[in-house]
Amino acid sequence: MKKYLIIIACFLTFLFCFQPSALAFCGFYVAKADSKLYNQASQVILARNGEKTVLTMANDYQGNVKDFALIVPVPVPIKEDQVNVGNPKILERLDAFSAPRLVEYFDSDPCQPIGYMDALPSAARSNEMSQGRIQEKNQSFGVTVESKFTVGEYDILILSAKESNGLEKWLIREGYNIPKGASELLQPYIKQQMKFFVAKVNLTELAKSDFQSLRPLMIAYESPKFMLPIRLGMVNSQKEQDLIVYLLSSKGETELTNYRTVKVPSDVDIPEFVQQEFSGFYKSMFSRSHEKEGRKVAFLEYAWNMANCDPCSAEPLNPDELRQAGVFWQNSPYDNNLFITRLHIRYDKAHFPEDLKFQNTANQQLFQGRYVIRRPFRGKISCDAGKNYPQQVRQRQQKEAQTLANLTNWKLIDIEKRINFLETQTENTPWWRKLWQ
Amino acid sequence: MMNLFKDARDYQIICLGLFLVLGICLRDWTLQINSILLIIITCLVTQIILSSFLKFNSEFININIPKKQGFYLNNLLDFSGVKSALITGLGLSLLLRANSSNILMLAGFLAISSKFIFNYHQKHFFNPANFGIIITIFLTKSAWVSPGQWGSDWWYLLLFICAGAMVLNKVGRWETSAIFLSVFIALEGIYNYYLGWNFEVLTHQLTSGSLLVFTFFMLTDPRSIPNAKNSRILWAIAIAFLSFILKEVFYINSGIFLALFMMSPLTILLDLIWKENRFRWQKINVMS
Repeated sequence: MKKYLIIIACFLTFLFCFQPSALAFCGFYVAKADSKLYNQASQVILARNGEKTVLTMANDYQGNVKDFALIVPVPVPIKEDQVNVGNPKILERLDAFSAPRLVEYFDSDPCQPIGYMDALPSAARSNEMSQGRIQEKNQSFGVTVESKFTVGEYDILILSAKESNGLEKWLIREGYNIPKGASELLQPYIKQQMKFFVAKVNLTELAKSDFQSLRPLMIAYESPKFMLPIRLGMVNSQKEQDLIVYLLSSKGETELTNYRTVKVPSDVDIPEFVQQEFSGFYKSMFSRSHEKEGRKVAFLEYAWNMANCDPCSAEPLNPDELRQAGVFWQNSPYDNNLFITRLHIRYDKAHFPEDLKFQNTANQQLFQGRYVIRRPFRGKISCDAGKNYPQQVRQRQQKEAQTLANLTNWKLIDIEKRINFLETQTENTPWWRKLWQ
Repeated sequence: MMNLFKDARDYQIICLGLFLVLGICLRDWTLQINSILLIIITCLVTQIILSSFLKFNSEFININIPKKQGFYLNNLLDFSGVKSALITGLGLSLLLRANSSNILMLAGFLAISSKFIFNYHQKHFFNPANFGIIITIFLTKSAWVSPGQWGSDWWYLLLFICAGAMVLNKVGRWETSAIFLSVFIALEGIYNYYLGWNFEVLTHQLTSGSLLVFTFFMLTDPRSIPNAKNSRILWAIAIAFLSFILKEVFYINSGIFLALFMMSPLTILLDLIWKENRFRWQKINVMS
């Protein structure tokens, strides 16, 4: 099998890799995250209003494009004009807008109590995810090709099948490499009368286009089913995979109905040095939270009205970008009815036995993954009012170290070594010195 | 202490209260304590006012008011339904979510009012909390239930079942839950088998906290369900079928609540067919 097909995936099966992007918050970069935050990650946008859905599957497939294939069960037959190729930048924009962020505050000089203004926020960054890919291929008998067309650089087949063995054989005959056990997983989708959306890369079209990499695939359809099939992607993988889903709705937050949705730890003060390794911090913290919750929950990383942000890790998307993200219900740029939910799901076969099912709710509660570093005032303190300041800061730094240790499971000793504790010189200053001044 | 548990509603109140505390502390529900208090207060106040009004009205008509006693508050107000109202309030707090407390209070008000509006021969046929949930969701569009909020931990399953069973033993309506749950599980099991999903999918679907709260604390409200055992069996089966259809054919996430709502008026019909004395909470007290 020269082809190196990877999994049979459904949506999820196909992407991987997260590349954290560095986000500017209010105009500053504080730190840049490294380029591989997660090993395997997919990104999906689900824009839904009523029963109408636009699904965008992003794809950062790194292998040979001729080997790329994607199989996604879809609830209804899909025609040519329901499929489109999207702009990969949109996912980056959504990611940047919704990514967990690091913010920075500066203590003011305690001797100039003009007001403890919440300091200048400076910076933020984030991690992000980008996409990965995986792919698949399939083929077999007793299979009806409902339609066949080319969109952008993709050749698309819409298949319906009578039974899973037939589909499996058909896919194999057509040159798709299907992992063992696939047919068992295909069966429930066939029984539910779902169709299979199969995409391959059309090399001629790809050569003609200016794009270097595969663009996201977008499908628009109407169905009461609001779900994302993840089971197919787990056929031959015991490993955990990361999935970031951006859910766009006109009503409010979107939540999972068959798994718990838990907020990532947020609004915590952490030591200053985390700025240099924010992505490492976030990754450890996420893994730890994931384990603590028994590996079977979805994490909410962001829930916000798209009209604003505070602090903004990136400019909100403009109407044109939103349209490209699949938002079809906004007629005017002044419409204020768009809510984004960002879910981060790390799933594996054992803990996620079912596909993801969602519901739009009216929940308008805002949430963001936000981590705060507070810079102590390191200038000279020349007044009585500032006498206790160094001690207070040291206590605060201790607390931040403890918080970080709890969140990430990093060793407290190692953390403390890296903290630049504020000198508490006040105790060493002889009491008489001030008298003679 | 013994006195406390003579009324089965005391168990229900304790169980529901416990679930609420567990949910808030261990399941990080974003519930606000003041919203819960507001729901409960709304339920209680609505109950007291409406039942007092009814009492006053009926006494006035009967003209046998012992006028000599004067208009003391105790005579005027009827506190008899307070426990039921508290159960309704706790049930709503557990299941219903909304953006503002006003919506939740509306749900509480509607829930209790339904007892007084939709009754036939002095028996209300909608489960109050269920009525409040469904009407608020469909009317305001800014309330919802979160079926995924409990997760699927077995521990909770056991806890629910034990606590539920305890309540049911006290009430004597356990067959409604048992039949509903068995039929619903059977239908889901058959459907899953037909689809070819493995057993894990089924267990994952069924270990939903909302399903159990519904089965053990909402479906069994002895005041609003059919009086005769035969009717209850039939009724439970009907609800299980409808829940299944709403869930699997129409993809309605909270199909169980809608199914109960739609089937509730059937209670009247079933009571006409199979006659039986209706349930009174006080019965247990009287007997013991």
